Amino acid sequence: MRRLTYIDAIIEGIAEEMRRDPDVFLIGQDIGRFGGSLQGTKGLWEEFGPSRIYEAPIAESAMAGCGIGAALMGLRPMVEISFGEFLPTVMSQLVCHAASIHYGTAGVAHVPLVIRTRVGIGPYRGHPQCYESWFQHVPGLKVVMPYWPADAKGLIKAAIRDENPVLFFEHMFLYRGIRGEVPDGDHLVPIGRADIKRPGRDVTIAATGWMVLKALVAADLLAREGIEAEVVDLRTLAPLDVETLCASVRRTGRLVVVHEAWKVGGIGAEIAATVAEEAFEDLEAPIVRVGTPHVPIPSNETLRKVVIPDTPGIIAAVHQTLGRLSSG
Amino acid sequence: MTESFLDRREHLFYHWFVRLSDYGCNVGVLASFAVDKRPSWGGKPFEMMTPEIHRELYRLMVLSRLVDRACCELSVHWFPSEGEEAVLVGSFYGLRPDDVIAPHYRGPFIAFYMRGAALDRLLASPLGKATSYTRGRAPAHCGPPHFNIIPWVSGDLGPIISIAAGTALACRYKQSDRVTVHTIGEGTTNRGDFHEALTLAGLWKLPVVYVVQNNQYAISLHISEFMPCKEITDRAAGYGMPGVAVDGNDVAAVFETVQEAVARARQGLGPTLIEARTYRLRGHWAGDPAAYRPPEEVEAWRAQDPVVRCQQALLASGALTPEDDKALWAAAEEEVAEALAKAKAAPDLGTPDAGLNEVYA
Repeated sequence: MRRLTYIDAIIEGIAEEMRRDPDVFLIGQDIGRFGGSLQGTKGLWEEFGPSRIYEAPIAESAMAGCGIGAALMGLRPMVEISFGEFLPTVMSQLVCHAASIHYGTAGVAHVPLVIRTRVGIGPYRGHPQCYESWFQHVPGLKVVMPYWPADAKGLIKAAIRDENPVLFFEHMFLYRGIRGEVPDGDHLVPIGRADIKRPGRDVTIAATGWMVLKALVAADLLAREGIEAEVVDLRTLAPLDVETLCASVRRTGRLVVVHEAWKVGGIGAEIAATVAEEAFEDLEAPIVRVGTPHVPIPSNETLRKVVIPDTPGIIAAVHQTLGRLSSG
Repeated sequence: MTESFLDRREHLFYHWFVRLSDYGCNVGVLASFAVDKRPSWGGKPFEMMTPEIHRELYRLMVLSRLVDRACCELSVHWFPSEGEEAVLVGSFYGLRPDDVIAPHYRGPFIAFYMRGAALDRLLASPLGKATSYTRGRAPAHCGPPHFNIIPWVSGDLGPIISIAAGTALACRYKQSDRVTVHTIGEGTTNRGDFHEALTLAGLWKLPVVYVVQNNQYAISLHISEFMPCKEITDRAAGYGMPGVAVDGNDVAAVFETVQEAVARARQGLGPTLIEARTYRLRGHWAGDPAAYRPPEEVEAWRAQDPVVRCQQALLASGALTPEDDKALWAAAEEEVAEALAKAKAAPDLGTPDAGLNEVYA
């Protein structure tokens, strides 16, 4: 066990897979000598060089298409879209093609492609847009969004080994904002499994990415009031771990869903609907969603703090499900 | 070509450059001009056309036309390729089985057939039969990937241009000399995907050949209404690759031009953009009366029918006798009829399941 930052865990996972499998290679902007946006590929160029790392021009759609083509030929490309804000430029590639190729070819072809990208408000200010929900809507794509360093490493390794297109969302606040123990050896985390980060009996808080951290802080504060919240880290948005979610709700009877993406049409809507369908009888109160209000993400930092969900907002949502007035 | 253009040409690694002067020109004369002016790539000399190859190209064009007419009868939504056979056949003939292809949506069946796909299973697609390669899950123009064909599972245009760059990248990555050949509509060259993909292909000198199947119409618009530059080949300069125009109704010229570009790509000399000028003799889809264009224009191009031109060339050279020709047509008709009967006899789609458990690999 070693304590690693979130980004060091991800880079270590990529490096291990590149050493293990010579067919793993990277395409992206500034991922070579520069070390990647936010130093997100630091050290890889020095070890693997230009034969494994393709420095790309600003042409995201072609980068993604190139990844699909290489994956069709049996390689395991990882295409880095520097920031999630640029994902709209690769929608045709991912939604119309990558997602449908396995089904459309009656199971003959498959696309073992990883799209790696950075999202969320962070210490670096730029590009906070969280577009992950768009992709969980599309059959054929897998969507991963880890919070804890060990999960980040295990999931990036699992994503590289997966036979399907996987979108891997890295939260920029978490990059060097947290440090955690990462198991030694070939540590893999299966895609499609949520993880209970804190057990509790009174309410389930299901969260993604950075919001898991905020939910954990909220849970500690709630514990002082005698409220024991169970925090479920979704880790994967598609396929969604309905089993873990519903089992938790059956234990607690209450559900709050938290994500940084817009509340309208976010993953919270899908989770709320699914839990209502699967575990309605076990709910003791209406489900509450916490997300960014329906407004374009403002540029100014102070304004952003007003719209992005925070710990007091999560506490207020928990109070709401428990029928209590919130001081926050 | 002016002096300054020649300088620029050298600078942009133009090894050779041919172009037709205008639309509606005497394409036969210009085709011979193209052959005369074509210098060597500096690599392996291209194997010249033989009477055997020429006859086979002709047979494949005849087969393509018959298959296309059958498909038009099966579905008004079929995209007819009549008149464009020289590009369809010339672009994909003579490739190695391990080369990768991605034909344009208009007329791809003959390319799939040339790779080894069964005609009856291809015809099963417009018929909605369970024996089709995609089991009805993708558009009929989606080729079976078993034969190193890039599957086209969507109805959108453009992304395949960079997917073809990706298959070429993979072949380079594996240090093989396999080549990817992709045909695109001239209308699609306006998509951003074209710009991005050719930027990558040119920058990384990928072993890919892009053939623009220029039938002069993007559904209802004539090329003069949607292209800001004079020639499609003008665009190649921006991507650091040669741009070569060829008479797209001359199957021999298309074949030779593509093969030279393929040889160049195999040697690691990078991609080529080829513009094969042809004409869409029918509507955008089988049921389209194509009332948006003058009948005289259609008639002028029908006089340049690539199948007839090839037939006349073969008869004139003595490579084909009228009796051979008759037998060739009869055999092709029989082959299509047999495949059609077999396809029609196959079970319908929808039985037993929709493949919901084949969304993820």
